[in-house]
Amino acid sequence: MLESLRAALPSIGSILTSLLGCFVAVAVLRGGVDVAIDAFLAMCWGAFGDFPKFFDGGASAVLLRPLGESATKAALLTLTGLSVAVAFRVGLFNIGAQGQLIVGALAAAVVGAAVELPSPLHVTLCLLASATAGALYALGPALLKRYRGVHEVISTIMLNWVALMLVENWLVTGPLRAVTTGDNSIAGTAQIHESAELPRLAGEVSRLNAGILLAIAAAIVLWLWLSRFVGGFEWRAIGATPAAAQASGMNVGRSFISAMLVSGALAGLGGAVLILGTEQRYPATIGAPYGFDGIAMALIGNGHPLGVLASSLLFGGLRAGGTRMQLFGVHKSFPELIQGLALLLVAARLVWMKLSNRLLPPKGGA
Amino acid sequence: MKEAIACGVAPAVKSKTREIDSARVRAGDRFDMTIALRHISKRFGTQVALDDVSLELERGERVALVGENGAGKSSLMNVLYGLYAADAGDVAIDGAPIRIRTPADALTRGIGMVHQHFTLVGTLSVAENVVLGKEPTRFGTFDLPRAVSEVQATCRRFGFDLDPRARVDTLTVGSQQKVEIVKALHRGVSTLILDEPTAVLTPQEADELFAVTRKLSDEGLTVVLISHKLREVLTFATRIAVMRRGKKVAEVKPSESTPESLAELMVGTRTPPPAPPQAMPGELVVTLEQLSAGPLRDVSLDVRAGEILGIAGVDGNGQRELAEVLTGLRSVDAGVLRVAGRTGSLTPRIAREIGVAHIPEDRLKHAVVTDFTVGENVSLGRHRHAPFANGARIDFAGRLDRTRTLMESHDVRPREPQLRLGALSGGNQQKLVVGRELDANPKLLVAVQPTRGLDLAAVDAVRSRLLDFRAKGGAVVLVSLDLEEVLALADRVVVLYEGKVSGAFMRAQFDERLIGKCMLGVRDA
Repeated sequence: MLESLRAALPSIGSILTSLLGCFVAVAVLRGGVDVAIDAFLAMCWGAFGDFPKFFDGGASAVLLRPLGESATKAALLTLTGLSVAVAFRVGLFNIGAQGQLIVGALAAAVVGAAVELPSPLHVTLCLLASATAGALYALGPALLKRYRGVHEVISTIMLNWVALMLVENWLVTGPLRAVTTGDNSIAGTAQIHESAELPRLAGEVSRLNAGILLAIAAAIVLWLWLSRFVGGFEWRAIGATPAAAQASGMNVGRSFISAMLVSGALAGLGGAVLILGTEQRYPATIGAPYGFDGIAMALIGNGHPLGVLASSLLFGGLRAGGTRMQLFGVHKSFPELIQGLALLLVAARLVWMKLSNRLLPPKGGA
Repeated sequence: MKEAIACGVAPAVKSKTREIDSARVRAGDRFDMTIALRHISKRFGTQVALDDVSLELERGERVALVGENGAGKSSLMNVLYGLYAADAGDVAIDGAPIRIRTPADALTRGIGMVHQHFTLVGTLSVAENVVLGKEPTRFGTFDLPRAVSEVQATCRRFGFDLDPRARVDTLTVGSQQKVEIVKALHRGVSTLILDEPTAVLTPQEADELFAVTRKLSDEGLTVVLISHKLREVLTFATRIAVMRRGKKVAEVKPSESTPESLAELMVGTRTPPPAPPQAMPGELVVTLEQLSAGPLRDVSLDVRAGEILGIAGVDGNGQRELAEVLTGLRSVDAGVLRVAGRTGSLTPRIAREIGVAHIPEDRLKHAVVTDFTVGENVSLGRHRHAPFANGARIDFAGRLDRTRTLMESHDVRPREPQLRLGALSGGNQQKLVVGRELDANPKLLVAVQPTRGLDLAAVDAVRSRLLDFRAKGGAVVLVSLDLEEVLALADRVVVLYEGKVSGAFMRAQFDERLIGKCMLGVRDA
């Protein structure tokens, strides 16, 4: 535990540094430190609950609504972040979380609308469908890597576009488009049945739903797998030193495939949470680069499942709260700026470590 | 201008032909140039690679450098080529000391080197490879037609039969080597170092190489040939420098030498090491019958329980591949492989299951994960079994326990099972690897260069572990490039030369000179 805390320190440093940098930027550009403080406080309240208003006698909704928004965003970030992180740990770079999320989302939308079942069963079925779709979508690159040596970065990037074009430019606007009746002419697939929606955790006042619980559970399961189980140990060994892993009897190729399946399934689940939790249909377009945000979360979280969870909770919150900064003349994409800066700092540290290893070789013989 | 030419600077002249003419002038007798390496010493950590070595190279000479692995031949030339900085001594041209700190410095002084492993870009054409680093440009962009015509001129000038437009990866190895040489000549070098140039060539290609190089040297090019192959050295060189353990021990004329006399100079007369106690060989653990795999050809040998079989040979004669076959990292092409009662090719997993332990040559690549803790590394290979696992779960207590015991019994310091392995010194890492491999109670231990790069205390520790294991009835295959180590530990020695067994000796018959000759392919035993 202490060890993982120490591993997390550089990322925490990067995040704090970028927050500070952005704070200074707001202060300089928007007329003073007090404005910046107000803007950042507004972001905090927007992210984690409007406590001043609550203690002023506001309803619990002033806490739950922001929390719901944060949790919804954090759940998606966590699942895609875990997807990228698990591939990282076995030494693969899955850039395809976006594509896997898209097919997962479509699977959830289709199963959610096609049948009507008792709620727990229906939700489970949708989740299973999404996970399977995502996993199968990642299987192709995994097999290509294993048997033909095709680099997964290339194949997964290309499949991102295949998924986007196939789903959004054809299926959703074509064969799977909802049959419009009367004034109900929303673009996208048919609305899912109520039984497929993820349970709301705080009633109708907030969009807080079970997606965040799923994400937290996934992070914990993955953490236990990597740290406590022999299989996870093998994945880590393969990711760190593939030749040594092979020489000690591990099946490197098979682990590539199983890790990619898990990676794809997690991204697919992200798609399910998006559809079953908030969208309730596959919209005309998903629009946001959730899969690519996952790469940022995996890097900032240092590939550690709990690190990914922590950074996703933070950045999910900042994004939800970022909209409130607009009142202070700060653009709502500001949290993404913070995220980008933190990512840059994490990457810079990795580059620096590599460089200093090369420039200053470790002392001592052999 | 003349100044620049005299010290070998390839000037950025407008016309390439003038540059080529200047190479001819340089090669002529007007610039009789002598390169002297004076009192060069070089250490790597505690190991002395070069010890006060002096060597003079006269214009147009063909000097051969011979010696065992690690005798310092390549190190000496790497100093000349600017890859290593000497700890003491200097390089002088015509008596004036010069500083060569990088290969670029060496090239401007007219010194070029062709390495055993080529430095070509396979997807580029011959012409592009040759001009790489000094590309002709036209309006700021690469001028391919000019590169082609320049390279064509160089090839014609020096008598090389190469198509400048051919893609390098479509060429044979022999032609690729010619590209390397043309590359050096194109830069206007007057001294060319060839590091084991024939290691990768067929005999015909080697003959052609020597014919071309001899012609160039007749025109004034100085050639340094690093080689293990005594016959080619004797026919090619005009002077032979023999190196042994970092020192130049002799300079001889080929006309006064024979392969046997050279081999003796290279190996020297060492007192044979004290024999370990008599081996008590038991049942057969390893049998190879007419085995071929990769470069290995028709290798037959066997290893019994309770004995150490030493594999001797010059680097790159199939020892590595033999170790890979035994540990399941390489499959058998033909012949019979029987290990611990199991016949046929192995995989790393099967090898471990039937009791093969492995101390690989490259520890950091094949034996350990430096980012893992000491304990995690101890479990590698047996991580699925007790005491390291409990079903599918890692048994942390069992692992800690076993790691503590192992660190204690093999004196791995610091005794800190949770430490990152990379924080341990090389010697302690190796002791841990040896301990881990022996802890699995193997029947066969394949040890490749197990003491390379270790300090003396660690060398002794590792060697005594091997002898202990043998005493307890284990079979050991010891691959080492250090003949002294092989002779100190082995009960029997098999010598590999070009993938074949070129000699086999019982301990009573150990004779360094004879073994040395087998290693060099001079004599078949």
